[in-house]
Amino acid sequence: MGIVFVFLSASVLAVFTGPGGFSLNEAGDLLVFRVLRLVIGICAGGVLGVVGGALQGLLSNPLVDPWTLGVASGAAFGATLAIVSGMGSSVVLPIAGFIGALLAIGLVYLFARNGGVLPVTRLVLAGVVVSFLFSSLVMLVIVLSRRTIGEAVYLMMGSLGVVVTKSSVRMLVGSLFLALVGCGWLIFHARELDIISFNEEVALSLGVDTPRLTRTVFLVGSLVVAMVVVWTGAIGFIGLIVPHLVRMIFGPRHSLVLPGSFLLGAGLLIMADVAVRNLTPSGLPLSVVTALIGVPFFIYLLRTKV
Amino acid sequence: MSAISIRELVFGYRQRVFFEKIDLEVESGEFLGIIGPNGSGKSTLLRLVGGILRVWKGEVRLLMRPIHQLTRREVARIVAFVPQESSFAFEWKVSDVVLMGRNPFLKVWEQPSVNDWRIVEAAMIQTGVYELRDESINEVSAGERQRVILARALVQQPEILLLDEATSHLDMFHRVEILQILSCLRAQGKTILFVSHDLNEAAVSCSRILLLSQGRIVACDTPAKVITAELIERCYGIAPVMTTHPLNRLPQVLFPAF
Repeated sequence: MGIVFVFLSASVLAVFTGPGGFSLNEAGDLLVFRVLRLVIGICAGGVLGVVGGALQGLLSNPLVDPWTLGVASGAAFGATLAIVSGMGSSVVLPIAGFIGALLAIGLVYLFARNGGVLPVTRLVLAGVVVSFLFSSLVMLVIVLSRRTIGEAVYLMMGSLGVVVTKSSVRMLVGSLFLALVGCGWLIFHARELDIISFNEEVALSLGVDTPRLTRTVFLVGSLVVAMVVVWTGAIGFIGLIVPHLVRMIFGPRHSLVLPGSFLLGAGLLIMADVAVRNLTPSGLPLSVVTALIGVPFFIYLLRTKV
Repeated sequence: MSAISIRELVFGYRQRVFFEKIDLEVESGEFLGIIGPNGSGKSTLLRLVGGILRVWKGEVRLLMRPIHQLTRREVARIVAFVPQESSFAFEWKVSDVVLMGRNPFLKVWEQPSVNDWRIVEAAMIQTGVYELRDESINEVSAGERQRVILARALVQQPEILLLDEATSHLDMFHRVEILQILSCLRAQGKTILFVSHDLNEAAVSCSRILLLSQGRIVACDTPAKVITAELIERCYGIAPVMTTHPLNRLPQVLFPAF
């Protein structure tokens, strides 16, 4: 109930507040702009929440998310390459993002693998390293192509202020649709995620094809994250915190955690965006706000849960 | 009927061969103890039977059917596995943990039915954890947790139960409790493979004992024929002090005097 309330009130605020105020007469274009921004926010926050929840279950580790596994910055790097080569509004953008995300997860996998097994501590460590690598590459590419550092900052730290043109709107809708389908797939496999969160060996003995599930969740997760990150940049902490909050309310079942994470992730991201738009005249990267909420929460988790 | 049939099994880790042509037959309703020193291959053999590890060469048959022709879900309806220890990253309710044993019977998206819940309840009653059903799995004691895992295994309605040192973390009272449940299950016709470090526990509870050493089968026979001073010394490298159990005349091994 609370989650639905957060989601709805955030949506209302997102549509009716912001620079430019609100008046009934000349609100047409402004309203379209805000609704579009709201839709992007819902998808991005929801997707990050769902993928974060699924990855935490898959690796039975409460500290992983699309950011700590390097997927988000990999996608941001792919998007940066597409943007600086002038293909930011073509189909190249989402594809480049997806390839970047796959590259990141592939590197993480290579670094972390030890014999045939994949120890989760090494995976997280490799993820953080790869994440840094790709964030730096984003910065490097932006600077080398003589663009402003500001653009890199937004790519690495997120913003819902994507400039939508006639040519890119179809691409945007297509990406978001793919992202939602991917989330649906993850929710569909909720019970298998429940079981694999016990332990890989136990999951095998309970009839779950763990190698296949692991591969597909990584693949679908990368795709889904890439489809939003190429538009919004890599937004941190939503994927980490939101599933934990939802677990505290609903318990650990993925059939509740994943849909709940979608709603709460969407709600929190929109709230962060509302705060960014209303409290600062020039806007702030979203990760600044999500991290300001996220870091204290992360520390709280470390002290109590792990 | 043959419950498990292993023919010329070859398996190893990395490039090194560990099991070289192992053969083993286990009849339905047997309670087979698997003993041997650390690193002798007890747990590995159990995992090969459970399909958790894949054999390199040779064949494992479950209820006459070659394991490589079965899907994971089919295997999980024949064999259930109880590990030494279970840790849980999240706060699962006891009844949720047990319910996961129904997974091999449910389609990916299918929700458990009333009948599934009935099976879950029956298993929790049988292992004596029904009263704990709403507790968090991380808050029950080690002995209780192991009985929860045993209930999860029963919910799979398996013909074959694999226990990998399932009692080694428990005190004597809780061990006896688990062994009593196992002997009930055996009376119901289940086949049980029981890996143990405790020779005395194996001697009094198993119908047959398999002694492994460095990936080879040293002996496989009744407790009286396997738990002997000569075989124990050969495999474990220490001369044991042997005695017999006053009630059932089965062999028991004592620590040497220091």
